[in-house]
Formats: sequence, structure tokens, C-alpha cells
Amino acid sequence: MNAIIPLMLDTLSSAALIFFAAVGLTLVFNVLRVLNVAHGSFYSIGAYVAASICAFIVSRHLNPYLSFVALLFSAALVAVVLGPLIESTLIRWTYGKSEAVQILITFGLFLILEDLQRMVFGVQSFYEDTPMRLMGSTSIGGVVYLNYQMFLVAMAVIVVFGLRLLIKHSRLGRLVTAVVADREMAQSIGVDTNKIFIIAFSLGVFLAALGGALAVPTSGVAPGLGADTMVLAFAVAAIGGLGQIEGAALAALIVALARVLAIYFVPSLDAVAPYAAMLIVLLVRPYGLFGAITTRRI
Amino acid sequence: MTLVLDKVQVSIEGVRVLRGVSCEIVERKTTILIGRNGAGKTTTLRAIMGLLALDGGDIRLDGDDLRKHPAHYRARAGIGYAPEDRRLVPEMTIEENIRLPGLALNLDKGELNGRLEEIYTFLPQLRDLRKRPGGGVSGGQGKMVALGRALMVARKVLLLDEPFQGLAPALALDYARTLGELRKHRPELALLITESTPALLDAIADRTLQIERGEISEQAGSPRTENVAV
Repeated sequence: MNAIIPLMLDTLSSAALIFFAAVGLTLVFNVLRVLNVAHGSFYSIGAYVAASICAFIVSRHLNPYLSFVALLFSAALVAVVLGPLIESTLIRWTYGKSEAVQILITFGLFLILEDLQRMVFGVQSFYEDTPMRLMGSTSIGGVVYLNYQMFLVAMAVIVVFGLRLLIKHSRLGRLVTAVVADREMAQSIGVDTNKIFIIAFSLGVFLAALGGALAVPTSGVAPGLGADTMVLAFAVAAIGGLGQIEGAALAALIVALARVLAIYFVPSLDAVAPYAAMLIVLLVRPYGLFGAITTRRI
Repeated sequence: MTLVLDKVQVSIEGVRVLRGVSCEIVERKTTILIGRNGAGKTTTLRAIMGLLALDGGDIRLDGDDLRKHPAHYRARAGIGYAPEDRRLVPEMTIEENIRLPGLALNLDKGELNGRLEEIYTFLPQLRDLRKRPGGGVSGGQGKMVALGRALMVARKVLLLDEPFQGLAPALALDYARTLGELRKHRPELALLITESTPALLDAIADRTLQIERGEISEQAGSPRTENVAV
């Protein structure tokens, strides 16, 4: 019985991180109709930038609470620098091309980004757990929990509701919905679709980079993180149904639960568990939990 | 206000669809573009809207070369477009669909509500439908909504693509009457309506153009000024 609460908390916090990676992938796919294979790289770049900034804060003996600001700031920085740049130079040329072309181009982008990360940040791992230590821990019934894990879950919940609010109730969200429903119609009624694409893509980059930044205090960052994240994010997006925000949240929970159960009970199956979950869901619902064949929603 | 098409040439997937379309759409006039299926009616409208790249020729609104501008500029310039297949956002209500261009153009609240009120006065059936989802209206109702949405944009030019296509005869008559009303409500508008069966539009047409295999020729005897609706 004592194993249940830590198992749940591990599942929830791991689901939160996977969700950050997957929701951006699914959002970008929905608006731009490009499956960005390089999406996982934004997660690892966010992690590297956050780890570097946090390490700088610690080495200069600045107020350690600045490291929380650093986590958010690094995600915003990555999104503002890379989002518009990559969308307007590379992704834009793949609109309307076949999926094979889109996947090849974004896979090329993935390879470039992976090598760039190796050049800039080297091949060693980074650990920077200042934010986690600052938050401390809570003891319930003799078992000690990290408060940072609950912080991760809270952040994910905020993002789910924030995105919902943004899409349903803001001018930007309405225009995004129009573009998702019908790109040409949106242009005809005056929507600057290029602007919407840049914003949506950058928002996707931000969410992935935020996930990576938030993951640094718990698991650090090492080469290969981008690729690992990408496959998980893809599994989540497929389970949830591509283009679904709530679907991504529920699917992230399923994938995280599968993983945590494997780690607790059959550690050797850790890596396979997410795909086993994906396989089972897709066998029952080929378009994902929330996926629909006909209507396209966000 | 004049919208000029000058020797417009357009290809779709390598096939030349418009081979030299020239015409003038002028304010206060209703121009009907007649042609069989595949003659290039829809392509002409989509070319005006900037949804297709021109191989050659020019499209100018009051001397302003529209080729230089991205597609969304047309709405800003006051050209409204109701495509044949309605294209409403299914998860938004009818009123949200009609308001959408106002949001896209960033109209201030007063202006947006003013235009909405004007549309409701002229198309009262839309007021009754306003809470229905965009995906939950019939074909004929959808056409009216598309017309309302285009009117939110159309300050100078209104393009209607086959408004009667797929409408039951009674609804088609209704729609034709509505277009006659529109002339009275918005006399300044330049109207371009495509149709394969011109009979319903005879009463409101100022000018009829015939498009055949991607070329436009003005019909004999036109402009038929005797048919100007008052």
C-alpha cells in the first residue's frame, strides 16, 4: 500500500514532463500540418540552456531563487530565438509538400540541431538541482516526497488550462482555430496565416523547451535526450490523437503510468512500456483516444 | 472603385485553367460571370483572392497591384468572398463565424457590432441561427452564413461563387431576392457573381460575362443597362 502514493506521484510528474513535449508537437501538427521530427530537440535545447543559466546563477552566488526564473526564461529564450528562425527559413517551405518530404526535412533539422548541441554544450551530462532542493520535501506517513514533483504537475495543469483559455477565448486562439479549420478560408477573411504559423510554431518550441528546462532539476540533461523525448512525444501524440490538447494530457498519463509501472515491477521493460501502451490503444482506437477521422479540431 | 483583371493567366497543377481573363468589376454594378463547369469561374475568383499564383497578367484594385500583396490583404482592402462550399468553422457558432473576419481585421468593437447589426437587418434569418454551431446548419442556411461573413469584409467588392449551386428551387429564389435587397442596402458595392444557370440572376444583372475554356468574352448586347435594379 505504501508504494501507491510514490508510484502515483512519479507517474504524475513524469506525465507532466512528457506532456510538455507532446502538446507542442500536437499543436504544431494541428496548425501547420507538419509533423516536426525535430521537436524533441527543442526539449533538450531548453534543458541545456536552463542548466547553463542555473549553473551560472549558482557559480556567481546570485539569489538561488533566480533559478526558477531561469527555467522559464530559458524556455522563452529558446522559443523566441529558434521558433521564428526555423519556421521562416525551413518549415515554411514544407507546407503542402508530401509527408515524406516533411519528415525528411525535419529529420535533417533534427540531425543538425543534435550536432549543434554537441558542439555548444559538449557530450558530458549536466545536473543542476538547485530549484528542486530549494522546494524541499514533504513527509507523508513516513514516506518523503519531493515538492518539486508536485510543482511539475501544477505547471502541466496550468498549461492545459492556459492553452484551452487561449484557444477558446482569445483573438489569437480564434484565428488559430480558423486556420486549423480551413487555411484558405482564413486567408480570404483577412487572417495573416504566416503570422499564425510563426506564433504557433514558436509556442510549440516554447512548450517543449519549458518541459526540458523543468526536467533539468530532476533528471539533468545528456546527449540523446532529444531523440528519447521525440519518440515518447510521438507515442503520446499518437495515443491522444494528433492535434488534441486534452488527448495529449491523458495520453501522457497513460504513457507515464506504463513506464512507472515497468520501473517499479519489471525494470527491464522500462523502454518498451510506452510503445506497448501505444500499441494497445491504437489497436482499439486507430485514430487515438480523441482522434476523429472527419472533423479536425484543436 | 474598379477591380481590373488584365489578361490573367493561371495554372493549376501544370494545367492552364485561365488563358487570359480580362474584365472590369465596377462599383454600383452587378456583374454575372457565366460558364459551364470547369470553364474557370471559381479559379477566377480564387485568383482575385490571391489563393492562386498568376502565371501572367495583372489584377488591380483602384490601380493597386494585388499581385504584390499576400492573400489576406484582399480582406483588408475590402474584398469579401463567399466560396461555393461555404467553409464555416464547424466548432464555432454562426455568429462567431460571421464575426471572425472582424477579429481577423482587428476592427474595433463598435465597428464590428455595427457591421454585425447591419448584416442581421439585411439577413434576419441569420439572427435566429446565431447560436447554432457552424457545423449544424443546412446547405442553404450555410450559404446565407457565408454571405453574411463575406459582407463583414466587403466594403468595396463582393465575390459570390455559385450562390445557387445545390440550393432547392425555393431557397434559390429566396437567395436571389436577398441579392436584389442587397443592391438596395449597399448600392456602392461592386458585385461579381458566378453562375452556371443565369436565369435567376437576370433580374439583378447589370452586365453578363461569359467565361469559356479560361477566356472571357462579353455577351452580345451588353452592358444591359436596362436591367439595372433600382
